[in-house]
Amino acid sequence: MIIDSHTHVDRVGWIDPPETIIGLMDEAEIEQAVIMTYGDAPDVEGALEYIAEATVKYAGRLIGYARLNPWAGERALRLLEESMESYGFKGLKLHPAGNFSHPGSPETVELIRLAATYAAPTLFHCGDEEFTLPLQVAAAAAACPQATIILGHCGGYFHVQDAIRVAEQHPNVILETSAMPYPQLIREAVARIGAERVIYASDGPGCPPAIEVHKVKLARLTPDEEDAIFHGNIRRILGAVRTGEAKR
Amino acid sequence: MIVDARVYLGDSLYGRSHTADALFAQIERLAIDLAVAVPAKPHDYHLGPANDAVAAAARRTPQRLRWLCRVDPWQGAAAVAEARRGMEELGAAGLYLDPWEENFQVNDSIVYPLIEEARRCGKPVLLNAGHVRVSHPTQVRDLASRFPDVQFVASNGGQINISGILQAEARRMLEACPNVCIETAGTYRQDYLEEIATEVGVDRVLFASGSPHYDQEFELARVALAKLGDDLKARLWSGNALAVYAPDHRPSW
Repeated sequence: MIIDSHTHVDRVGWIDPPETIIGLMDEAEIEQAVIMTYGDAPDVEGALEYIAEATVKYAGRLIGYARLNPWAGERALRLLEESMESYGFKGLKLHPAGNFSHPGSPETVELIRLAATYAAPTLFHCGDEEFTLPLQVAAAAAACPQATIILGHCGGYFHVQDAIRVAEQHPNVILETSAMPYPQLIREAVARIGAERVIYASDGPGCPPAIEVHKVKLARLTPDEEDAIFHGNIRRILGAVRTGEAKR
Repeated sequence: MIVDARVYLGDSLYGRSHTADALFAQIERLAIDLAVAVPAKPHDYHLGPANDAVAAAARRTPQRLRWLCRVDPWQGAAAVAEARRGMEELGAAGLYLDPWEENFQVNDSIVYPLIEEARRCGKPVLLNAGHVRVSHPTQVRDLASRFPDVQFVASNGGQINISGILQAEARRMLEACPNVCIETAGTYRQDYLEEIATEVGVDRVLFASGSPHYDQEFELARVALAKLGDDLKARLWSGNALAVYAPDHRPSW
């Protein structure tokens, strides 16, 4: 059983219709995947609706996250509410390098706190670019201890050790394996923070899920650890989301 | 046939190291036929003895190992002399320049004499590329454009960025510089590699692992699982690397 915690579907820029990721999921024997656009709402018109349509078309296989621009302020907050309550999305995605918002900025923190009222996780792009460094995302984790903060890409190429340190310091931080190229550092992360705080993802379709599954297997973990990383942890996180219940 | 176009050999200052015996055991296990080795940065910072050690390993097993001579452009005339020694006396298949670990910008004028030496010897130059402060694709392009008759290889797909934001710049570099190939090691987005191979040129992508910095077994999967035809994959696995580093082994296409 595998759930891919970070994939993309979009119709602008990098064009990846839902059928692309579904095909790659089938190839890698992945049951479910979290999807989001490459661009932010509301900057990209219809982005959330496109994700919502995909989750309806592939109900049971695709799970929506709302990718939002914190600078949109009140509008972003309303869109997150709509995503959670009307579309049944399960999380928030933030890519601070794309919209120049610091992870600890008031606008960002307000969005994360709203997501947390639904028990919904916030997935950060967390790599080597400004505003995405693990020690910068740590500001969001510290400001929102009630929120689950996922470090997508686990710090990228040069900041994986920082990502592990941040996870050691903030119990609400989860590390996500996509695209970073170091199987041995997945093993190190598991040893230092525990398998229950690491989740598998591919960042597909660009990074094929099958290759990313292979990478986690090369970390040579125990079967129980693999089960937790491939599906148990994200199932636990998303299972707690109270879509449609919480209010601001 | 599989050629790994970049592995590091020797005790590295930065902690990840291959001995020759360990490297040979690993490539044997992974069915890699030939590796192109570069010296890891040694603890004492002296590249000359490190070149000697890798050259000796290659002499012992020339059918399994080629090597590149590593020099530091900041050493000026001494670096040029070492490059000449490596390529003319020790049998190096080319030069290796590491602007990330030796701390220079790849298009700095201190590099030019070394490229001229490689040109004089008719050898390729491998650049540790994609590091945005020192070997950004625009900097690789600037260097390669100044030496259009020298074959360059840019490691890491020519771009290291986990947003994919550097891919367009790396492709522009490749389109502007037909004398540059890229390696597969560590590259973000496998479809970028497929795009370069199919849209820019079948001869422009080489399999390399960058082991032990990157995981050799995982890096093999990038090519093994690439959505490319068998003929094209054969070019990535070995044909392109042989053409660059071991033309005496070049198969007929």
